[in-house]
Amino acid sequence: MKAVVCEDIWMTYKTFFGGSKLALRDVSLEIEEGEIFGILGPNAAGKTTLISILSTLLIPDRGKVKVLGMDAFREIKKVRERINISSGLNLPWSLSVYECLKFFSLAYGILEENRIENLIESFELSDFRDVEFEELSTGNKQKLSLAKTFVNDPDLVFLDEPTTGLDPEVARKVRKKIEDIHRERNITIVLTTHYMAEAEQLCDRIVFLNKGKIIAEGTQKELKKIIGAKDVISIEFSSKLDEKVLSKVREAKNIYAFDYRDNKLLLYVDDSEKRVKEVLGMLNPFWDKIKKISMEEATLEDVFLELAKRD
Amino acid sequence: MKMFSLSLRKEIKKTLAFSYKNIIMTKRNFFTIFEMLFWPLISLFSVGLMGSYLEITENKLAFIMIGAISLSVIQLAQLDVTYVLLFDVWSKSLKYTFATPSSFYNMIVGSWLVGILRGFVAFLALSFSSIFIFNFDLTKLPLVELILFLFGLFFTAMLIGMAACILMLIFGRRAEIAAWTLTAIIMLICGIYYPVSILPEGIRFFALLIPVTHFLEYFRTFYGFPPTFSNPLLIGFAQSFVYFLIFIFLSEWSLKRARKNGMIIKLSE
Repeated sequence: MKAVVCEDIWMTYKTFFGGSKLALRDVSLEIEEGEIFGILGPNAAGKTTLISILSTLLIPDRGKVKVLGMDAFREIKKVRERINISSGLNLPWSLSVYECLKFFSLAYGILEENRIENLIESFELSDFRDVEFEELSTGNKQKLSLAKTFVNDPDLVFLDEPTTGLDPEVARKVRKKIEDIHRERNITIVLTTHYMAEAEQLCDRIVFLNKGKIIAEGTQKELKKIIGAKDVISIEFSSKLDEKVLSKVREAKNIYAFDYRDNKLLLYVDDSEKRVKEVLGMLNPFWDKIKKISMEEATLEDVFLELAKRD
Repeated sequence: MKMFSLSLRKEIKKTLAFSYKNIIMTKRNFFTIFEMLFWPLISLFSVGLMGSYLEITENKLAFIMIGAISLSVIQLAQLDVTYVLLFDVWSKSLKYTFATPSSFYNMIVGSWLVGILRGFVAFLALSFSSIFIFNFDLTKLPLVELILFLFGLFFTAMLIGMAACILMLIFGRRAEIAAWTLTAIIMLICGIYYPVSILPEGIRFFALLIPVTHFLEYFRTFYGFPPTFSNPLLIGFAQSFVYFLIFIFLSEWSLKRARKNGMIIKLSE
């Protein structure tokens, strides 16, 4: 069974004064049970809107959403009993870690003290059990927000930008925790992020959202294939390149994508070791201007930037 | 039968979740203690002292003291109902609450129970103060009648709280002020310190549509003020029940609207 199926979602936010802003257009996707699915995109791409619709917090203008085989707009209560969401670092400010988890357990119609204590322990919050939410550090707030997500033992969780605003060390721990939970519980995780490296580390499949529209979907391999590139050759120059040379490089065979800005040339190719000689041959008259050459595997960020440019 | 019992237990837990949250929020925030004791006592003392200064009769003093006590009790219980949404709006955590399978009625009833508790504590404090300071004994009334009167006040408080929550879901933060103004407006119309008969005719019509007008009328009959209309208690409860049904419908409508226009998300930012 699919964990999530959504078809043809359109969402517009209307302002009080009659204005409107299109947030999602024609979004359709399917998420398999047990996978970590990433929704990637820059700020204001529509990631939070999409996750809010999938978690029953928003009703779109148009479209169908099935969550765990249930209609997300008609069987809201049943859906909510089996899902949970972590979105932003805001929980009731006067509640302590323990009280917060107890409140949400009760709100899900459950109260199992053991589960609460296990969550506190497993998210390394034992030392902060009686500390009020507003007095926690950002990292511990995020941990509590994640712990809250598991009070009802959900089959599907939505994590909206789980590492935004965290320092690298805490962000690394949070990512590790997400991996561990996924492995231990085999639940479906839908994650939004604008950190491409995070998606590379965690996600089985990914959609790229840009300006409210899905511009690509697939596994990391499949996405890299879309732009035809496996590797990136990066060449930095000490001064600006001649336009004629740039056109020559741009039109060359086996160069799938091209970016030139701030005297830095990025070339997306199938095999950097094979193509670097050809490229250097084309750049022959400018060798003395070359400051640095590097060859790397193409990242999701490279793919996204290229796709966003084409969109 | 087993399924029903399980489902009932779940509903009770969901309702108690909101009582639990309101109790902790009340315990942790100093202004809620002020609300419960300081302002009601200030209000009672000013009204009582004004009555003494004007040398009004014992019956008339009872008339205004009932008004002062009722206003405080209603306002306090109503605030608790409104806080169920306001605390989340202030904490920017509303979307988490609405992402749970708890319904609007779980929220309202759970917080209302705390409102009843706080309102009752205030009622006791005000009643004993009025006995010792102004020699006005509210508790000398038959117990059943007193309970009915108090229940009427608490029911009204829930309705006002629901109305404030509905307004917030429709108009967002700009409607927060309704939490503190709705009760005052209603009490102005329903004849808190004066009989509704002195109000201009148009306003009197609206006064008769407010349940608390009838509850006050009923209660004052025990202090020598004959009712201006028959069966005030029955009318009060009948009106309350009708408004309750209307507000249940409106709350579902406003929630759906808030999910359509993104108000729940906006109130969480």
